[in-house]
Amino acid sequence: MFSKIGLAISFSPTGKALVKESLRLQQIFNSRLALIHIGERNSESETLLFQTIDEAGADRNNLEIIWGEGDPATAIIKAGKEAGIDLLVVGALEKEKMLKFYFGSVARKIMREFPASSLILKSPSLEPVPFKKFFISADYSLRCEKTIRAAFQFALKENAQEFTIIRDFYMPGLTAAIGDNKTYDEISALIDQMKYDEEEKMKLFIQELNLKGLEIKIVCMYGKEGWEDSNYARTNEADIFAVTGPEKKMGFLDRLFTHEIEFSFETLPANLLIIK
Amino acid sequence: MQLSAGQITTFLLSISIMLFLAKILGELFTKLKQPAIVGEIIAGILLGPTVFGMISPESFQWLFPQHGEIKIALDSFTTVAVILLLLISGLDVDLSIVLSQGKKAISTSFMGLVAPFILGFGVSYLFPQLMGIGEDGSKFVFALFMGTALSISALPVIAKTLMDLNIFKTRLGFIIIAAAMLNDLFGWLIFSIILGLIGGNTHGFTFEQTLFFTITFVLFVLSIGKKIINRIIPWIQTKISFPGGILNFILIMGFLGAAFTEFIGIHAIFGAFIVGIAIGDSVHLKENTRQIIHQFVSNIFAPLFFVSIGLRVNFIANFDIVIVVTILILAFAGKVVGCGFGAYWSGLNKNESLVVGFGMNSRGAMEIILGILALQAGLIHEEVFVGLVIMALFTSISSAPLMSYFLKEKDKTKFKYLVKEEFVIISNESEKEKVISQLVDIASEELKIKKEIIFKEVMTRENSLPTGIANYLAVPHAKIKIKEPFMCIAINKKGINFEAGDGLPSKIIVLLLTPENNNELQLQLLAEIASKFKEKDKVVKLVSCEEKSEFCEAMREMA
Repeated sequence: MFSKIGLAISFSPTGKALVKESLRLQQIFNSRLALIHIGERNSESETLLFQTIDEAGADRNNLEIIWGEGDPATAIIKAGKEAGIDLLVVGALEKEKMLKFYFGSVARKIMREFPASSLILKSPSLEPVPFKKFFISADYSLRCEKTIRAAFQFALKENAQEFTIIRDFYMPGLTAAIGDNKTYDEISALIDQMKYDEEEKMKLFIQELNLKGLEIKIVCMYGKEGWEDSNYARTNEADIFAVTGPEKKMGFLDRLFTHEIEFSFETLPANLLIIK
Repeated sequence: MQLSAGQITTFLLSISIMLFLAKILGELFTKLKQPAIVGEIIAGILLGPTVFGMISPESFQWLFPQHGEIKIALDSFTTVAVILLLLISGLDVDLSIVLSQGKKAISTSFMGLVAPFILGFGVSYLFPQLMGIGEDGSKFVFALFMGTALSISALPVIAKTLMDLNIFKTRLGFIIIAAAMLNDLFGWLIFSIILGLIGGNTHGFTFEQTLFFTITFVLFVLSIGKKIINRIIPWIQTKISFPGGILNFILIMGFLGAAFTEFIGIHAIFGAFIVGIAIGDSVHLKENTRQIIHQFVSNIFAPLFFVSIGLRVNFIANFDIVIVVTILILAFAGKVVGCGFGAYWSGLNKNESLVVGFGMNSRGAMEIILGILALQAGLIHEEVFVGLVIMALFTSISSAPLMSYFLKEKDKTKFKYLVKEEFVIISNESEKEKVISQLVDIASEELKIKKEIIFKEVMTRENSLPTGIANYLAVPHAKIKIKEPFMCIAINKKGINFEAGDGLPSKIIVLLLTPENNNELQLQLLAEIASKFKEKDKVVKLVSCEEKSEFCEAMREMA
């Protein structure tokens, strides 16, 4: 599924835990592992990096170490692309400070711009365990089909206990359209009907994907797209929240008028699996 | 200055009558599938100088005096009403939708703003007399206003039309809504700048200062202000009584925004509108809060405002056919051509672009608000105002039928249009591969695609999960390289085992082929077909049809 996993590693306190998490992923996907470190390569930095790798119990001969220089996010993206990484593991804070979020942190930039899939771990563990609760943000696109299939394969490998597909949908201007000529009951009934229709459609969609081996739960919610599903994953303590990577480059305006996937980037609802 | 008991009585009586007639006519027009605003404006015309004032001038003057304290009280009331109207209009604007719709919404909105603006500005500047400029009016400012007036859209009317036409939740619906939202934001911004340009402020700010404050206000409220509001709302909703607390907060913020923009020399409504956008953007604002404030404003304040329009102006005395027709032509030409071209440019086809153009053409309440403010500011005369009101009503009423006409093309993807007699066969086969093969023969010939390709796709899907649904129905299907969906049907009276959930053999076998890049269309059609076969009795009747034509007719008529 993922033939080469990359790990963006710095000398942060979570470095060792990230290596351990990556080693576990390498095993379950039976893939190669590459560590990407951005910073000046000298004896001191080499020692520090090797120490982290050794302490994590990794075999240095069994992994590739890529050194890079320059702006960390740009250099990681470039190195990951050149090394043919198809799943990049990155550690990230659950929430950045407002200014840092607007003007871009390393992890957020990677989430938005890395051309292949990425897994953003918000609290990597020194004793990693399999992810048990998978929540997937879904629509009916072909790209999302890929996301669901990838997350499903991942969940199967993890022997997950829960696999929930969340479909959130929103109709901007709905209140304006019906607010002055319908009663509360009529409006509630209308929204309930829309939820029911979406649920039926999503059931069909999932049925078409013919996924076997795990029970799939479907949840449809009315509300801001991207917010409702990430909030649902957060409140239900998801281990993995899988989303389809942005189709176009996300910019400052997308952060200012937060929408869709940017809600998950703004505050990580769980470990974020971005499928591209 | 204080109102006497008699004046208070008259004031309350006049408000009651306005509300009563507005509600009656508003409801009547809603029942006629027209915007309530049309009824409310007509209520004002009936109560105003046009009708009531003509029939009984003294009673009219007593109930709705045109000067004095009661008039001031009523004007204050309608000023609050219009501020609240713009506040709730702002709540409906979701700028993130514009971003998610991307180029299509932006180019539609941009062209829908620029084309009518240039047309309105150009004609008004070159032929000011034709457009009804006053003797002492500035040609430039008048032309600026007419350009803006023609470029504004009315989101509530547009949203309602999309809902009635059942295209609200479609790609086209989202583009229209997103474009209208962006259109409104820029329309009101330009109009506010025009008001600043004519020097309406009493606090001594220069035009440049007003412009600076306006832009700073917009940027602040829509960035930092929005984030702060988003943090305050959940706190209010959990700590203070609901819905009183949050309604109170929304009104306070709206009035504060309105007071600020009035202070800097642009109209109060702009501040309320921008604050409305910031509040409406909050993910924590509950849907029922939106509905409560909408009901509150739409049923009390909006009718009062729209009735007051008719009270101010004599629509017969100020009716100028040349101005009305000119404004109508410019409005239609600018908006339909502008938005239509913008949509076409962004990649929509001709019919879809026309649907977008006519959809965006609704001016509704926004045009009337803009017109009355311009009238109060002395920018335009009554004749032009009447022309704008008529244009607003006409564009709102005509939007749905014109959109509906061009939407017919889109209906080709609906189930009932896919049922065609020439694509129905009577089959006597007893194996599913054979009946699928028969259907694939028809599809192959019609779509000019090799039979093996279609057959392979359909069987791959069939083998992965059998397509027997229930009630004698099976829908073998596949996604292939086609542009439009295709459907053909086999009637098999013996029935074939498609492993349906209810164990019944399938007697109606529908082969459904859809474009490979459109999951949603396939799901929509599958869901539609399944829903039509929910009632077993109807299906039994359908199976008993002897003639293909009879069968097709019955299929199309199935609820």
